[in-house]
Amino acid sequence: MSFVEVSITNRLHDLTHVTQTVDQLAATHGLTPDIVADMNIALDEVLSNIIRHGYSDDRVHKIQIRLTADDDVLQAEIEDDGKPFNPLTTPPPDLTGSLRERAIGGLGIHFVKNLMSEVAYSFIKNRNRLVLKKHLTRREADARGPA
Amino acid sequence: MDLREDSVGDITVLEVKGRIDSTTAPTFGEKLTGTLATPDKRLVLDLRQLEYISSAGFRVLLLAAKRAEEAGSHFVLCSISGKVRQLFDLGGFLDLFSISASREEGIAALR
Repeated sequence: MSFVEVSITNRLHDLTHVTQTVDQLAATHGLTPDIVADMNIALDEVLSNIIRHGYSDDRVHKIQIRLTADDDVLQAEIEDDGKPFNPLTTPPPDLTGSLRERAIGGLGIHFVKNLMSEVAYSFIKNRNRLVLKKHLTRREADARGPA
Repeated sequence: MDLREDSVGDITVLEVKGRIDSTTAPTFGEKLTGTLATPDKRLVLDLRQLEYISSAGFRVLLLAAKRAEEAGSHFVLCSISGKVRQLFDLGGFLDLFSISASREEGIAALR
């Protein structure tokens, strides 16, 4: 079991710290590029949403990300003190229509729901808490080989 | 993310390597829309070395495609496979953009 925690501020350029942390965890845990991509995309969608829409003031806020990996699951817990927002209640985006008709709203959360195995949301003590879980398949576990 | 531009005759090939996410999408967007702003521009966007693209990147692609239509420019995407293809499929983009199997086919499609 590996555990790593990273704190960022609500600034988009801070997201590079998160991808670096995921990459490091993936390297020590032997995770495949597909798993790394799925987790990095999901975190990019969730965190950029929080940074863009989560706050009604211009102050600096801290967002905490805890990553854990064991033989079966890669998990990310995201905690922020922004406005309550449950991404699981957003309607699915309209993926049809021509170039002119297509809007991009809702696509990020659609990606999160589809790329992750489980997503859970709670709002406790004025903090949003989102848990993203990616199940590692047998192939993943085999690819990792002996520890 | 790295961008590399080549010219094949009067066709521009833009190759993207690495990841397009919230951090890198603005640079990608500036380059892409800047290139497509030239009227009658023909561009192949080669995604063979793209690791992944988040919704921020798809937003850029959609905007670029709309701008290209307005400017009378044409662009095709090529070499979409693996994880990147899965993401295009998930977002319903496979039928929306012109997509060629390889760079050569993309260039041929624009001639």
